[in-house]
Amino acid sequence: MSWNNQGGGPWKSPGRGPWGQGPFGPPPTGDLEEIIRRVQEALAKLTPGGSGGGIGKGFGGRGALFLVLAALLLWFAWGTFYTVQPSEVGINLVFGRYTGKTAAGLNTNWPWPIGSVIKVPVWDQQITEVGYRSLGASADIPEESQMLTGDKNIVDVHFRVNWQIDPAKPEDYVFNILNPRETVKAVAESIMREVVGLKTIDGILTTDRASVEADVQKRMQDLLNTYRAGVLVKQVQLQSVDAPSQVLSAYRDVTAAQQDQQRAVNEAETYANKVVPEAEGGAARIVAEANAYREQTILEAKGQTSRYNQIYEQYKKAPGVTRERMYLETMERVLGPMDKTIVDSNSASPPVPYIALEPLQSKPGASGK
Amino acid sequence: MNGVVLAAIAIVAIIVASMATFVVDPTEQALILRFGQPVRDLIDAPGLYFKWPFVDTVVYIDKRILALDNERQEVLVSDNQRLEVDAFVRYKIDDPLLFYQSVTNTRGADAQLGGMLNSALRRSLSGASITDIVRDKRDALMADIRDQMITGAKRFGLQVVDVRIKRADLPAENSEAVFRRMQTERQQRAASYRAQGSQQSQQIKAEADRKVTVITAQAQQQSEQIRGEGDGERNRIFAEAYGADPEFFAFYRSMQAYQNSFANGQTRALMSPKSDFFRYFSTPTPAPEAATAPVPAPSAKAD
Repeated sequence: MSWNNQGGGPWKSPGRGPWGQGPFGPPPTGDLEEIIRRVQEALAKLTPGGSGGGIGKGFGGRGALFLVLAALLLWFAWGTFYTVQPSEVGINLVFGRYTGKTAAGLNTNWPWPIGSVIKVPVWDQQITEVGYRSLGASADIPEESQMLTGDKNIVDVHFRVNWQIDPAKPEDYVFNILNPRETVKAVAESIMREVVGLKTIDGILTTDRASVEADVQKRMQDLLNTYRAGVLVKQVQLQSVDAPSQVLSAYRDVTAAQQDQQRAVNEAETYANKVVPEAEGGAARIVAEANAYREQTILEAKGQTSRYNQIYEQYKKAPGVTRERMYLETMERVLGPMDKTIVDSNSASPPVPYIALEPLQSKPGASGK
Repeated sequence: MNGVVLAAIAIVAIIVASMATFVVDPTEQALILRFGQPVRDLIDAPGLYFKWPFVDTVVYIDKRILALDNERQEVLVSDNQRLEVDAFVRYKIDDPLLFYQSVTNTRGADAQLGGMLNSALRRSLSGASITDIVRDKRDALMADIRDQMITGAKRFGLQVVDVRIKRADLPAENSEAVFRRMQTERQQRAASYRAQGSQQSQQIKAEADRKVTVITAQAQQQSEQIRGEGDGERNRIFAEAYGADPEFFAFYRSMQAYQNSFANGQTRALMSPKSDFFRYFSTPTPAPEAATAPVPAPSAKAD
């Protein structure tokens, strides 16, 4: 009920009563009593012929007084109390003058028309969407979303700004700016275009995204602070950053081409990884074969010389006989299977070859040679 | 009777009181006009104020930062390029009396500021290139426009807080040209990536083939060397063994060669009975004659 109750917190504006005349006295109900007393005095003065003792002079005076008192009580009961939701801050005005903020819960202020309350949803997260609308039919708004990059390309940016009314300064939000919501949006569009204008299209499509978000947030906050807008920019989120739909397929093809390139390289690597080890295996085989040949050759030579040496040892013991025996044994083996024609010729000239003596050929295989 | 008079007087008093008082909100400032003439000072603090009923009228004037969002303007910038520019102005009513006298209300102020903004935009941007506006000199150009606006707006009691270029876009037909350029750029880039892929692929394969050739050749070289070592060793062993008695070796090796050469038995031999082999063919006594080795026929298959 008391005026002073509502100002118990840190928002109390000290030294200033509801009428702007200075603090009221400490008794909690004093103001109401005083008002009643003033009204009584005023009524007493207005009553003709009743200077000072008007009250209680006749039934009509009493009735009017009663009515006025009842109206005053009703007025107070209806107008004094109000509720502030947990997400809100109440701003108390008395005759238009800002007198303080109230927290969530039951609060009091002077009833209308003396006092009024503006409830500001400071804890609500506000969302401003630029370039698109998540609600409604238009998913893309080209005139908002398409913007020029620093290298004179066009990029299509959808983003949203999460912001809230600054809980420390809701009065700035309410009193300083006409249509703050529109202001946030206009500032967001302007700043985003400014930041995107500093980037190249390749940068903004790939690596610069995070820095764009942070940069836009900071610049927005700075600019809104110069307006004393009472707005906290919590976050700037790029929803999508794309090439414009007119050229999107060409951009996607670049990605596909990069993958093609990678694939070609991978295929070539696969080929290289196959043929080089195979060649190394082949090389190892060639070397191994050569080693085998060497071993074989040496061993054969050693074997042959060993055989020779043994024969030679025996030969040395009886050279003539051994030589004769070897000669005859060899000739026996050599001439044994041969076709032989013995030609008695006294001359030293070589025998004349005669060819067409078919009956002499006893072996059928020889004719084919 | 008394009560009725009392009530009537009270009602009249309330009406008069309500006409003699007014409230100024924190968002407002107020001018008091007496028969159209401004009297008293500007009221710019919120609160409850008094005036003469019937005589004085109150004009409330907004104290907040007001917005002017300009219509999209096509501006000719340098190189005969056209640019569609959206700008907004944020301003306050700084001198309410001047404001009230010159433009009366915000609609009038918006009209004045809009015209001012258009000419300022054209003046500042006409010499700048698109790159300047979009990237290089955006801040400077906006500051220039703002300064022009600040000066111009003073005449109407307005204080320009900020002027910003919101959008600066190419007109639709120029956008098409940009899209075509972007498209061809990307096509070039895609072709370049694919060509690079092909090039790298060829390089990698060629390098692999080179390695294969070199590895094989090195192996061949090593192989020949090893085989040579083997052959050399063989020669050394033979030379060592056979060198002791060259004559016997010639005999021994000849015997082996004969045996191997005629081993298949498909050779026809014409033989003289006088050869050494037939020494005892006709007589059992030794006949020390010059031996003649058997002569293979020309048709003999060489080993």
